Amino acid sequence: MSSARVSPVPPGSQDLLAGDVRRRRRVQRAWFALADALGYEEVIPPTFEYEEVFTRTAGPELASRLIRFVDRDGRLVALRADFTSAIARMVATRLAGAPSPLRLSYAGKVYRQEPEGVGRRRELFQLGAELIGEPSPEADVEVLRMAIGVLKALEVRDFQINLGDIRFIRPLLAGLDAAAAEALRTAIDRKDRAALASGARAFGAPAAVARALVELPELIGRGDVLLRARALASGREAEEAIERLRAVDALLTPEERSHVVYDLGEIRGLGYYTGIQFEVYVAGVGRAVGYGGRYDGLLALYGADRPAVGFALETDALADLLAGEGR
Amino acid sequence: MSRPLRIALPKGRMMDEALRLFEALGAPVDPAARDSRRLILPSAGGRFEFLPVKSGDVAVYVEAGVADAGVVGLDVLEEGDPDVLRPLDLGFGACRLAVAAPEGTPYPWLPGGGTPRVATKYVESARAFFAGRGVQVELVRISGSVELAPLLGLSDWIVDLVQTGRTLAENGLVVLEEIRASTARLIVNRASHKLRLEDHQRLIADLAAAAERAAAGGG
Repeated sequence: MSSARVSPVPPGSQDLLAGDVRRRRRVQRAWFALADALGYEEVIPPTFEYEEVFTRTAGPELASRLIRFVDRDGRLVALRADFTSAIARMVATRLAGAPSPLRLSYAGKVYRQEPEGVGRRRELFQLGAELIGEPSPEADVEVLRMAIGVLKALEVRDFQINLGDIRFIRPLLAGLDAAAAEALRTAIDRKDRAALASGARAFGAPAAVARALVELPELIGRGDVLLRARALASGREAEEAIERLRAVDALLTPEERSHVVYDLGEIRGLGYYTGIQFEVYVAGVGRAVGYGGRYDGLLALYGADRPAVGFALETDALADLLAGEGR
Repeated sequence: MSRPLRIALPKGRMMDEALRLFEALGAPVDPAARDSRRLILPSAGGRFEFLPVKSGDVAVYVEAGVADAGVVGLDVLEEGDPDVLRPLDLGFGACRLAVAAPEGTPYPWLPGGGTPRVATKYVESARAFFAGRGVQVELVRISGSVELAPLLGLSDWIVDLVQTGRTLAENGLVVLEEIRASTARLIVNRASHKLRLEDHQRLIADLAAAAERAAAGGG
């Protein structure tokens, strides 16, 4: 008889039992109750897709974290790393003829490679929604309101939504080579004022652009920050970003507004965002537990040019939060 | 009043200098706690709590959100690349990460070929630097007394932090090339920054002003 033990699960995967399952299902039930009431229909995209579904637009960060394998015909396949990419592909193919707007919801796992030895989860539960065919600020607010609604339904009180619009930043990086743009994106993401100042000098940014870059880390706060940002907006695209954020602000209720921080330096999202983008932060969790935004160009890649906006929340983080509170 | 902002500080000289800045903005360590063995030191007035940890662990506490903010050298940040905000260069703790070797050692190639061996604590920074220069090296990770490595034949060159250069000189080593200059940085947890935005904005503004005064005062 062999004395070898059966190996435990690979790093980053895990068994979920009793309470851990119960809390995840509770989060998902709260989510679908809300989504169903708003007319969102659940979809289940496949667990694996051709890898280009995720590499085309989501950006190098996600592309480097795919869990891939070679399919029988030799094509590269990846485990679902992002629901939005998969649903965009689904809408542009299976749902190509469906009338707008489409309201779709989902809950399930995504799979992402993590650095070796750190032991971080490589499979995560997410839930979220996509609103397709609606370019309006009302659609942006509908999605923000859903994210807020889930947290409220779970009685999470202390949370903030960090909201920006990528069109404010894009013109500041226009015309730079890839390495220079990446260096500035990183500095913006870290709110590293010293690196922004030296980067703007090194890349010979025009005075107005340099000023906006250096001010970006400070362009965060309540509604008044949008007025300050407007004075720094460089051109039509950046002005549209401010106009959109002001329109969103006007549509929010005072209670919803108390959970929103405007951050013109918000640049964390995946590469396909074209308008508003946001992150969700909850007290007691050191990182974002949700993200979303507008991705008007993504469906066009599959030949179905429709505006879209959506969001995802990390089901595991919310379930662990409930566990931490003994709920 | 809301709970104090928890600030992770690297034990040693950088912590002393950081505490001087906090003192300058009116938040010295509570005298009652100063000489105790407490793990967390409250500031007088209760605005902050200081958490002394090893310098390599500062970013770990801040990234996880256990500390709201921290002070750490750019050298350590670049090595670990933690996912935190870096809003402020505090100006003190100046040093540089450099390639060094015994005087007369060939650089950046060894005569007659062969892959140079480089001993360092800063493996990631050294890897990125040599890769960028197109120089192929073999890296040896060691955790202390790096300057001994070439003297004992463990490596050809070293990559290490240089402050005054005295330790190098005492061992007969010279700087061959500078990789990057480093100073102390304020780092901030991403979630805490959003959830306590006003507290962090005030901290950043106060520290920026105190650091500027310290620099102007010849500090």
